[in-house]
Amino acid sequence: MNLFSIGISHHTAAVDVRERMWLSTDETRQAVTLLKERFFDECMLVSTCNRTELYGVPRDASLHHADVIATLLDLKHVDGSVRPEHFSAWRDGAVLNHLYKVAAGVDSMVIGDIQILNQVKEAFQLARDAGALGPVMNRLMQASLHVGKRVRTETSICEGAVSVSYAAVELASKIFADLSRKSVLLIGAGETGELTLKHLVGKGIGSVRVANRTRARAEALVTELGGEVVDYEQMAEGLRVADIVITSVNSPTYVVGPDDVQKVMRRRGNNPLFIIDIGVPRNVDPAARRIENVFLYDIDALSAIVDRNVQKRMAEMPAVTHIVREEMVEFLRWHKSLQVAPTIQDFRTTLEAIRAEEVQKNINRFTPEDRELVEMLTKRIVNKILHQPLTTLKQGAENGTHGPDTVQRIKVLRELFGLTKSESHGD
Amino acid sequence: MDVRLIVVTLQTLLPVLYAALVAVYGITFFGSAPVLEKLKHPALIVVIVLHLVFLVARTVLFDHPPITSLFEIMTLLAASIGGAYLYLELRTRVHNTGLFVLSLAFVFQTISSLFIRDLLVIPDYLHSRLLGFHVSAAILGYTALSISAVYGLLYLMLYHEIKSSRFGIIYSRLPNLETLETMSHRSEAFGFVMLTIAILVGVVWLPIVFKDISYLDPKLIGTIAIWCLYALALAAKRRGGWQGRKTMIVSLVGFVFVFISMMVINLYLSSFHTFH
Repeated sequence: MNLFSIGISHHTAAVDVRERMWLSTDETRQAVTLLKERFFDECMLVSTCNRTELYGVPRDASLHHADVIATLLDLKHVDGSVRPEHFSAWRDGAVLNHLYKVAAGVDSMVIGDIQILNQVKEAFQLARDAGALGPVMNRLMQASLHVGKRVRTETSICEGAVSVSYAAVELASKIFADLSRKSVLLIGAGETGELTLKHLVGKGIGSVRVANRTRARAEALVTELGGEVVDYEQMAEGLRVADIVITSVNSPTYVVGPDDVQKVMRRRGNNPLFIIDIGVPRNVDPAARRIENVFLYDIDALSAIVDRNVQKRMAEMPAVTHIVREEMVEFLRWHKSLQVAPTIQDFRTTLEAIRAEEVQKNINRFTPEDRELVEMLTKRIVNKILHQPLTTLKQGAENGTHGPDTVQRIKVLRELFGLTKSESHGD
Repeated sequence: MDVRLIVVTLQTLLPVLYAALVAVYGITFFGSAPVLEKLKHPALIVVIVLHLVFLVARTVLFDHPPITSLFEIMTLLAASIGGAYLYLELRTRVHNTGLFVLSLAFVFQTISSLFIRDLLVIPDYLHSRLLGFHVSAAILGYTALSISAVYGLLYLMLYHEIKSSRFGIIYSRLPNLETLETMSHRSEAFGFVMLTIAILVGVVWLPIVFKDISYLDPKLIGTIAIWCLYALALAAKRRGGWQGRKTMIVSLVGFVFVFISMMVINLYLSSFHTFH
């Protein structure tokens, strides 16, 4: 196997370094084309906020990582701020292992990240559109997407919120049956509060109200997300009608006391009230937690949920590793023997097509009684011609010596007999 | 096949089958078992069908429907709870509370199988159409109230976990609080209506068969007390702004009284509701 990879990621470089190596879609397309031209038979580049990584099949098996890194650095004009030490490098089996882990979401900053699989898929598609994928990388694309899918269905590595804002949304859906029939009130407009609100909107929350000391900020948020602005002074009324309240106010003292909540609960017919207090210092007196049907969570309680979920995800790592191993074995098996198979198939099909065409052209020259004989005879000749080269090819793959020799033979065969077109079809 | 053999076999087998169902639902609730997950729903259907076979076979064998003794009623109740749970699995998205609901069916069926007797001769007054109405309504009512209590209990467990920020298996496996409350509440309302019908029919039927009936009989007083408790709970929810935890506690307390009324009063205190 001849796989090659280099990359910069959150493991090896801080964000200010990573962002310099980030490639837009256009840049990725250019880079893939250039790198393929210089070094690779096939290659692809994935670039996200946490990683920029190149995977490929080098034309020359002894290609140096440093050469590819230097080309990438040149391409981004990074003038010394990004150095080769910021890069990791892999070869052959290690490339598979790494790519599969990336696709599985276990190499991500947030373990079990579900976005990365889509980003990997898009990166492969981009490379394919740029004509940079061949049989190996096509197979690698399918295999890594398969790994991602298996990990998501067979393990719970992606389950449980691992950010404070998502933890709040998850809790909300454990209290209420249908968020589209509930309303949320955001008091104050801190970053986490806004993010939580956005997640709730994403989950289809019924209605949104925002109360902020600076009305303009509330109005800007409402313009973005929909909903209405409530006067900051009218907060009590807002509490009465809301099912979910997010407080994120910068205030040295409690903004909402237990008495306020008690009063509100009476006025709202004791309907459950979920309060997410993201303010530091806290905005809602924790004594309110004791009131029936009030579910009050502060930033620490939410962080504790996040920690627990991260631990649960970590516990799934052995299962993920197992899937990665299984899929690696599967890929290696394919690489070892099946790569010869499509060549044999193509070779047979091409010769058979030539034979059939010639027979068809000349068949009328023979008497009906002889035609069957002609078919048989030509087939036999083709089979005899095929026999020796195919035997050699098959032996090469079966003996486990699917090294440069076999690859070279496949290449020569494909070039000599014009089988190159079918190479891009992969398996 | 011999009907008696069917009755005897199923009488022994049904508690075992319910125990197995509870085990299957328990395993899938607490852990991950894909095979059992697929198996549990068909298994539930098989057990319910066998239970119906048992009830029909018993009716044929003893020439009367199984409504004439407490233990006959209990097997009927177990079948009804199992059937109601099957209905819930089919009609709602709540598919993993079988452990809790079917445990009740298991308890009722086990008590019934242990104590049920062959009743070939029954008093004439038990051959009555009104009694059929009364028992049907009571069975449906008690089934609904039992299910209401189970979801009430689940609500309280989940409520406690969420309130105390201790997120265990209950938190991850149960549906949300609002769904549990709605299920409990709807079952309770349905159970209450059925209980009302059962009481009305019972009160009409009683003087017809028992000339010297005392309206101070513990069974009557107990049942009326239970009816009042549920009536108050439903009114408190509708008018008094009772939500969540309190109503769920009432549902549980109501069920405890129902159970006491059924076991203790029927067996030891009542003059007319004991039958045998």
